[in-house]
Amino acid sequence: MVDFDRTAFIGKFQEEAADLLQRLNEDVISLEVDPDNRELIDRMLRDAHTLKGSARMVGLIDISDTAHRLEEVMVRIREGEMAYTEAVSEGFFETLDAIVHLAETAGEDAECEIDMTALQAKLTAMVEGSEVEDSPQEEDDRVESPSGAEPKAGQIEESLQPKVQHSIRIKTDQVDALLNLVSELVISQIKSEQRAHELHQSLGGLGHIWQAWLQLKSSLALVEPEDDEVSARINDAVNALDALLTAQRRSQDTFAKNLADDVSRGSVVVNELQEQGMRLRMLPVSTVFATLPRAVRELARSFKKDVELVMEGGETELDKKVLEEINDPLIHILRNAVDHGVEPADVRAESGKPEKAIIRMSARQEGDHIVIEVSDDGAGIDAEKVKKAAVRKGYVAQSEADAMSDRAATYLIFEKGFSTSAIITEMSGRGVGMDVVREFIVEKLKGSLDVSSKLGEGTTFKLTIPLTLAIIRALMLRVGGRVFALPTASVEETMRLEPSEIVKAEGQDVIRSQRRTVPVVQLADILGVPTGASNNGKRAIVTVGFSGHRIGFVVDDFVGEQQIVIKTLGSHLRKVDNVAGVTILGAGEVVPILNVQDLMMNARSRGRHRRHADERAEVRDRPRRVLICEDSFTTRELERSIFEAAGYEVEVAMDGQQGLVKLKEDLDIDAVITDAQMPNMTGFELTRAIKGDSRLREIPVVIVTSLERDEEKAEGIGAGADAYITKSVFNQDTLLDTVERLMR
Amino acid sequence: MTEGSPYAPDEASLVAETLLQRAESLAQEAEEDEQDDRMSLLLFRLGEEWYAVELNHVREILRDYVTTPIPCVPSFLRGVVNIRGEILSLTDAAALMQLGAAKDGDKAPAIVIMNEECSTAMIVDEIGDIAETPVDGVEPPLSTTDRLQADYITGSLCLGERLVGLVNVDSMLQPINAADL
Repeated sequence: MVDFDRTAFIGKFQEEAADLLQRLNEDVISLEVDPDNRELIDRMLRDAHTLKGSARMVGLIDISDTAHRLEEVMVRIREGEMAYTEAVSEGFFETLDAIVHLAETAGEDAECEIDMTALQAKLTAMVEGSEVEDSPQEEDDRVESPSGAEPKAGQIEESLQPKVQHSIRIKTDQVDALLNLVSELVISQIKSEQRAHELHQSLGGLGHIWQAWLQLKSSLALVEPEDDEVSARINDAVNALDALLTAQRRSQDTFAKNLADDVSRGSVVVNELQEQGMRLRMLPVSTVFATLPRAVRELARSFKKDVELVMEGGETELDKKVLEEINDPLIHILRNAVDHGVEPADVRAESGKPEKAIIRMSARQEGDHIVIEVSDDGAGIDAEKVKKAAVRKGYVAQSEADAMSDRAATYLIFEKGFSTSAIITEMSGRGVGMDVVREFIVEKLKGSLDVSSKLGEGTTFKLTIPLTLAIIRALMLRVGGRVFALPTASVEETMRLEPSEIVKAEGQDVIRSQRRTVPVVQLADILGVPTGASNNGKRAIVTVGFSGHRIGFVVDDFVGEQQIVIKTLGSHLRKVDNVAGVTILGAGEVVPILNVQDLMMNARSRGRHRRHADERAEVRDRPRRVLICEDSFTTRELERSIFEAAGYEVEVAMDGQQGLVKLKEDLDIDAVITDAQMPNMTGFELTRAIKGDSRLREIPVVIVTSLERDEEKAEGIGAGADAYITKSVFNQDTLLDTVERLMR
Repeated sequence: MTEGSPYAPDEASLVAETLLQRAESLAQEAEEDEQDDRMSLLLFRLGEEWYAVELNHVREILRDYVTTPIPCVPSFLRGVVNIRGEILSLTDAAALMQLGAAKDGDKAPAIVIMNEECSTAMIVDEIGDIAETPVDGVEPPLSTTDRLQADYITGSLCLGERLVGLVNVDSMLQPINAADL
C-alpha cells in the first residue's frame, strides 16, 4: 500500500491549473471578440472539464465545483441556449481569479477571502438565466473538506521548504537533450575503443619492422669493411637510426598504453554517465499511484459502490515521461472497473461476494519492462454482450462475431468509441472509453495491453510498458537484405519453420503456434522491399501479438536482440507508415525501427485485399472440376450452385468413402471440398487418404466445417488439408477465392 | 604652388556639393545593399540545369555520408542520414522536381536546407559557387515551366551566362506525413 502523497500531487495540479487558467483567461478575451468561435468554445469547455477533474482528484472540491459551473455555462453557450455576453466574461474573470487564488494556495486560506459559494451561485444563476438563491446543504458539506485538509497542507508546505534547496527543477527537454548527447558519447566511446584496438594492431606491425631492423643491423655488423671511411659513415647512420627507432618505439608503446588506459577509464565513466543519465528520468510509480486511492474513493462514491483499492509495488521506478502518460490510462481503467466491473452491492450479495469490492493494482519490473496489473473482483466482461454491442454498432459482422472466440471478443472493448452501455454516467459521461487506454499504452508508450476476464469473477488489465521511452529492447532482423529493429515488447515468438509448415486456411497462409492458428505474411511485402534470400530453406518467422490479434511475419533472418536508443526520423519525416523511428548502432549505422501497430494493420487489410484481388479465373481448355463431399443435402446443393455459377463442373459425394472412390476413378478432379464430419469416412480421414496417395496428393483439399475450435483446425491442417474454412465465416467469395488460389 | 582652384569659387562649391551628394547616395546604396535588395545564393546543378538556394536557408554541405533507406516513403526520399547523431531525411531534389533521379550512390553531394519548421539534406549533382545578386533580378518562373516544377521554383535569374532557377525552400520542406498520403 502506498501512502497518499498529497504534496507531489498538489504541485502537479498547480502547474496544470496555471496552464489551464492562463489559457482560459486568454480564451475569454478572444471569445469576446469572436463569440461564435466554436473551436474556442470547445477548448474552453475541455479546459474547464479538465480543471474540474484534476481539482476533484486533489480534493480541491471548491475548484472542482466552480469549474463544473464554468463548464455548464460553456455547454449552454455551445448548445446555443445562451448568448455569450460581457456579463459572462465578467463572471468568468471573477471566477478564474478566484480559482487562480485557490489553486496557488492549494485551497488553504480560501475561506476567509473569497466566498466561493456566492460565486458558484452567480454562475448557476447565469446558467439558469435567473437569480437563484444558492445554498443547498450539499455545497456546505463539500466546502468543508478543503478546510479540513488545511493544517495538513500547511505542514506539508513547511516541510517542503528545505527540500526545495536540494533539488533543481529541470525541463525534461533539457534532460532529453543531455541524454541524447550521452548516447552520442557512448557511440564515440565505442569508436575510441575500436581505434585503440587498431593502434594496438598497428604497433604489432611496428614490431615486425623492429625485428627486421635488428636483423639488418646484425647483418651489417658482419660485412667486412673495405673502406674505413664508408664503414664509419654507415656505422654512424646505423647508430643514429637505431637510437631514433628505439626512442620512437618506446614512445609509441607508452602512447598506446596510455591511450588504452584512458579509453578504458573513459569507458567506465561513460557507462556510469549513461546509467546515471537514465536515472535522472526515473521516478517511483508511487508518485502516480498516490493519487489513485482518492480518485477511486470519489469514483466509488459517485457510482454508489463500495470499493477498496489495494496497491503494491509503488517503489518500482519508471521513466518520468512514461509515468506522466500512464496516469490517464490508469484512471480510465479504474473508472471502467468501478463503473462496469464492480457490481452493485445487492448483486454482489446475491452471488455470495463480500459487499466491499476490491481492486488490486500492482507494479513490478520484468526485465526492461514494467508490468502494471489492475484486477477487480467484479462481474467480468460478458463476451456475448460485447459481441452484441459490436454487431449493433457495426464494428463486426454477425458472422464474424459468431466465429469470434470469447477472448478475441473481449478485446473489442479497445475499439475506437466502443461502449456496451448507453448510459452516461457522471464521470465517464462525455464519451471516452477504453480506446483511449489502448492509444496511450500502445501508441504513445510503445507498450502492450492485455485483458483477461472470467465471467462472474472479475477482470484483469495487464499493461506492459517499456522502462523508458528512450531505450527499448528490439529484435534485429533482416528483410530484403536490410536490417530492421522490431520492438521486443510485442514479439511473442521467433521460429524457423520448413516451408511445408506454412499452410493455407481460409485463403491465407497460416502456421500453428502454441496451439493456435496464426496467419503469416511476408514482412518484405508489407514494407515494399524486395524479398531477400531465405536462410537455408527454412523460413524465419516472428509472431507478433497486438491487441488480441496475432500475425506471423516471414523475414530473411534474425540478426539478434539488443537494446536500442529510439530516435525520430527527423523534422521532415513526421510520420512514415510502418516505421516508428530509427536507432543508431555502435558503429554509427542507422537502423529503422518498425511500427508494430502499422504492420499489424497493414498485414490485416492486406490479407483481406488479396483475397478479393484474386478473383480472376484463367482461361483453360476445359472447365475446372471440383468434388464436393458433404452429407448435408442443403450444404451440398448450396456449394454445388456456388461452383456451377462460377463455371465449374461439380461432382458430389455423400461421404468421404464415396468421395475417395470417385477420386480414384476420375483423375480429372481439380479440387476437393469436403465436410469434416461425415458418416463412413470423415473429412479428416479423406484428406489423409488423398495426401497419402501419390496420384491424388497434388489435388488441393479444402475442409469446410462447423468445427471451429483451434484443436480441430489443427487436426485438419495436420491431416494435410490445404485450406480450412469454418461455416460461420463461410461465404461464396471466401470459398471461391480459396479454391482458385489453390488451383493456380 | 598657389595656382588656385581651376574653377571659379562658386563652381568649386558646386563641385563639392555634388561630390558630397554623390558620396551620400553611394553610402546609402551601400547600406541598402546590406539590407534587402541583394541576396546570397548557393548554386547547384541538377542534371544539365543550374539552380540556386538562398544561403540563409543553407545549414551545411555533406560530401561524405551514408544513406539508410527507409521503406514506405515517397520515391524522392532516398532515406535518412546520420549527421553527428542527428537524423536528417535525404531528398532527391531532381526526383522531387521530376527531372530524373540524381546520381546514384552516396557520391552525390547534399545541401542541408532548413526553414523554421524542419530541415532535409537535398541531394544534388554538383555544388557550385556562392553568388550575390540583386533581389529584383529574380524573374517569375518561365511560363513554360511544368506546373509540378513551378511549385518548387520561385523564379529564375541570370548569373553571367547561366539561367538559374531559384528553389522554393518552403515547398521543398513540406513535411512528410503518412497520414496525408
